Amino acid sequence: MEFDIVTPTTKSELLKAIKTNKNNFRFGAGYTDLILELKKKNVLNVTVINLAQLNDKKFNSIERNLKFIRIGALVTASSIVNDKFIEKNFPVLQQAANNLASAQIRQVATIGGNICTASPSGDIACALVALKAKCELLSSTGKTRTVSILEFFLGPRKTAMKKDEILSSVLISLNEKNINIHSGFIKVGTRRSMECSVVSLAYHIQSDKKNLITNVGIAIGSVAPTIRFAENACGFLIGKKASSLARGEKEEFAEKVLKYASPISDIRATAWYRKEALFNICKSILEN
Amino acid sequence: MSKKLNVIGTPIPKIDAGIRITGKAVYGQDVKLPGMLHGAILRAEYPCAEFTIDVSAARKLPGVIAVITADDIDCNNISYKKDHPILKKGEVNCIRDEIAAVAAESKEIAERAIKLIKVKYKEKKGIYDPFDALKPNAPLVNKYLKDSKFAKNISDIFFYEHGNLEEQKKKSAVIISKRFVLPRVTHCCMATSNITADYSSVTKRLTLYSSTQVPFLYQRDMAHALKMNASDIRVIQVVIGGGFGSKLDMYPFEPIAAILSIKTGKPVQIIFDREEEFIASPTRQNMVIDLIAGADKNGKFTFRDVTIVKDNGAFTSWGATTPFVMMQTFSSLYQMPACRFESKAVYTNNISAGSFRGYGNPQAAFAIESCIDLMADKLGMDKAEIRLLNANYAGEITGQGMHYDTCGHIEALKTVIEKSDLRNTNKETLRNTNKYESTNKEKETVNTDSYIRKNPYFVDNVDRYKRGVGIASMMHVGGGAKIYRSDGCGTTLKLDDYGHLTLITGSSEIGQGSETVLAMMASEELTIPMNKIKVINTDTDVKPWDVGVHASRTSFVAGNSVLGAVKKLKEKLNQKAAVLLKCTIENLIYENEEIKNSDGSNSVRIEKVVREMHFGGQNELCTVNHFYEPTSDFQDKQFKGNVSGTYAFAAQSAEVEVDTYTGNIKVLNIHVAQDVGKVLNPLNIMGQIEGGVLTGVGYGISEELIMENGRVLNPNFHNYKMLTASDVPDIHFYPIETNDSLGPYGAKGMAEAPLIPTAAAIANAVADAIGVRIYSLPITPEKVLKAIKEKTD
Ligand SMILES: Cc1cc2nc3c(=O)[nH]c(=O)nc-3n(C[C@H](O)[C@H](O)[C@H](O)COP(=O)(O)OP(=O)(O)OC[C@H]3O[C@@H](n4cnc5c(N)ncnc54)[C@H](O)[C@@H]3O)c2cc1C
Repeated sequence: MEFDIVTPTTKSELLKAIKTNKNNFRFGAGYTDLILELKKKNVLNVTVINLAQLNDKKFNSIERNLKFIRIGALVTASSIVNDKFIEKNFPVLQQAANNLASAQIRQVATIGGNICTASPSGDIACALVALKAKCELLSSTGKTRTVSILEFFLGPRKTAMKKDEILSSVLISLNEKNINIHSGFIKVGTRRSMECSVVSLAYHIQSDKKNLITNVGIAIGSVAPTIRFAENACGFLIGKKASSLARGEKEEFAEKVLKYASPISDIRATAWYRKEALFNICKSILEN
Repeated sequence: MSKKLNVIGTPIPKIDAGIRITGKAVYGQDVKLPGMLHGAILRAEYPCAEFTIDVSAARKLPGVIAVITADDIDCNNISYKKDHPILKKGEVNCIRDEIAAVAAESKEIAERAIKLIKVKYKEKKGIYDPFDALKPNAPLVNKYLKDSKFAKNISDIFFYEHGNLEEQKKKSAVIISKRFVLPRVTHCCMATSNITADYSSVTKRLTLYSSTQVPFLYQRDMAHALKMNASDIRVIQVVIGGGFGSKLDMYPFEPIAAILSIKTGKPVQIIFDREEEFIASPTRQNMVIDLIAGADKNGKFTFRDVTIVKDNGAFTSWGATTPFVMMQTFSSLYQMPACRFESKAVYTNNISAGSFRGYGNPQAAFAIESCIDLMADKLGMDKAEIRLLNANYAGEITGQGMHYDTCGHIEALKTVIEKSDLRNTNKETLRNTNKYESTNKEKETVNTDSYIRKNPYFVDNVDRYKRGVGIASMMHVGGGAKIYRSDGCGTTLKLDDYGHLTLITGSSEIGQGSETVLAMMASEELTIPMNKIKVINTDTDVKPWDVGVHASRTSFVAGNSVLGAVKKLKEKLNQKAAVLLKCTIENLIYENEEIKNSDGSNSVRIEKVVREMHFGGQNELCTVNHFYEPTSDFQDKQFKGNVSGTYAFAAQSAEVEVDTYTGNIKVLNIHVAQDVGKVLNPLNIMGQIEGGVLTGVGYGISEELIMENGRVLNPNFHNYKMLTASDVPDIHFYPIETNDSLGPYGAKGMAEAPLIPTAAAIANAVADAIGVRIYSLPITPEKVLKAIKEKTD
């Protein structure tokens, strides 16, 4: 592993760095994925564009207006964990960030890195899929386009990002007014920290005053080549009463989620286990 | 001991704590010598193959100083059975096999050179299951084992028996026969394996900066391997970043570094990276245990009949002697009228197993304690009752001839039974652990403990989480173990003109805190404060002989050695002090660094006494030597005899919560009641208890080095599930002080013990929780879920 490093501190320096290094560069944010990858593949002669000192509000901060909350790509997992607004309104995201690796890694691991690594087991990414977030991509020309995260992941380590684009931030629509939320993140693995999930489930369910479900996001991780949004399972719940689902309905919901899972067996778990556990935890989120 | 103790028993921090936590400690990784080269090893690409090798390109790389293969060296085979060539020639027999090594000016160059070595392999079908290796048509795995008394592919057999098995079988109202499968786990030392070898072509002497646990055996082994004189080898122990038994053997990388240093005339350092550490450092003995155990209608144990097949891997380490320790547990943990024990260590093309804290006893405990619960179930007996009925007791002489002069087994059992509320009539309360009340069931009891499930909107299914409690015991040598020709330890004490003491001990510090405890003993006796005591324990050129750190022996053996030396030192001091104080040498009192006459009316400072000896005409230094050999016996050919100075006992109970949706086990509490003889330092002992228990929890529920056809599939912490700080259960420790008459201040060895019964207790707790038993470790979420599924289907 050998690389050159450039460290832009402003957006214009960043765009210049992207242009000058053409296709032969990698972004580095918290480096908790990148270094391992470069080492494993023994990558030589690549330039790393180091984002760690980039000073740009869009990249660095969590801000919100009446419609959405914007989280900069360089925001760390621990900043998400500690954000009170996120904790209150998007428990799924807070819990996912809190489940990532360990306290030490959360201090440096960024949300942008988690998304752009495009791992099927990415915790924050899974929560963002359940939240139907939008990715803001900045190109070297200075233009920004927005892509739904539901269309962002094309395969393991493959995204809809172009070669000269960088993820600047993600947008999450605020919850509807006067609703109840049932939102959380379940990660199945052996250890309580430093664990890569064997199965994960992100759910964000909004219901109105009458307890009728109005908006649902369900995403699953580690059971398919990419994180999957379980659209049919979401649709199934719309209009139902959250607190009084029949046992059969809960199982039907779990079955619908399971349709999106095509797990493999590896040394961490068999496909059988992943499906079984996924089915059970899907049920569990509707249990009372 | 009626004497009031001032230092012993008090919580004194480890004397090396400061340098360790500030990064000043010099680990093997920190050693840098002038002109030092960096070594790297090329290992096999296939677990079983013939090969030819061409190192010419590597030799030509600028910066490469030496490249060696089997053809370039003239060495003896190493290992416990001398069945292990340092560099392999023409064929490899496991994925760890060393086939070439490089010394270069930098680590990077060494690694590049390794890649330039061309090897052509002809792959062969290997044997990866010891039962396959025992088949008559199996190929021979290790051709280096000489004068084997055993059948093909068997490295070693241990056979032991006592009592009349047939008679006891007839007496049995219940007989349980089960197979237990134990995994391959590894030590995960934070410091990876390391060595720096420095050969002087001028003095023809070799200095090794090593992490060995057994410096004097290591010196001897190295001398044999290199065909050198042992006294020309100096072993300097660096600060050791974790041992746990892994450094009981010498491995090929160590003589390889020495050979590279001899060839180049420069110091050579080899340091493993983490992946290499997982692949090429030893593992706990993985094995299959077939246990048949019986009890009569009252629950009294009648017999144990044990057959063990251990996967030895391709070569034999000291770990092959684990049955020596295991058989003691099978024959003598709980009163045992009859026992037959047979174990085979079988060669395979897997990586070879070594020694690991607990030395076979965690495996034995799992089998024995699972069977006890099964017997209790069949007899309709209480699980605590059946254990108390059969517990070991003080004064017992076991079938194997071990003398339990002091024994805290019963008290240990009673303690954990009481503390873990095993007989709690509210067991159902325990099991329904939802913090939130159920809406669709009648008011469930709400558990007020702190295990809150965070789910404010929907409440978990009340049947989802099941709790259970399990108990297990252990017995382990507590006063050394006579395995080698001597089990002793030497001490030299040097009291200087300023009243400071230098304590030179043969024993080794590997993080367990023994140097602190030894200094505390000297401080207690001489009243010299801890900060005036230096412990020297890392240099074989300086320190007297000791067999090494193992068998939980250091506090006991090295401690007794220190006390013996202190006695001699005091005799010297007393003689001079009596002259100075103008009194008789009887009844002198040591207090605050002074020696006083018997009524305390006259006193002299210790340093003054030393100076008077030194300069006052007598011209003598205040230096003494002492060698302590435990009073234990060698066992006879039938393995009978009192092998240790004393024995340690413990019981643990585990409280677990099983998530029946995911199969995850949460270990909530571990209660540890252990007969430690006497608590010498409560801080140290707690460190040992917590560390041991956590290793035991990992053994029970998460750790396994997974192998397939001779390859390690998870050589990293990502997939090797060593537990983290957030997995630590609440560990409750209840020391039991039986004040052993032979131990220093009554202490027994205690350090291996805490991990021995943990996995067994957890396994029993899981069975208690879910109503199905799992017979292999680790009890992974997948195994749990499968067991639950099979039970309900
Ligand atoms: C020990 C350990 C444990 C881990 N545990 C978990 C876990 O439990 N859950 C989990 O989800 N992950 C885990 N990870 C993975 C990793 O920590 C996370 O994915 C983290 O969020 C990555 O962020 P980073 O800032 O370190 O990314 P980096 O390593 O800096 O980058 C990751 C990738 O994203 C690219 N990239 C980064 N930022 C941008 C950007 N703004 N625009 C475009 N591309 C970008 C990089 O080029 C690189 O390809 C673990 C990693 C380690 C080492």
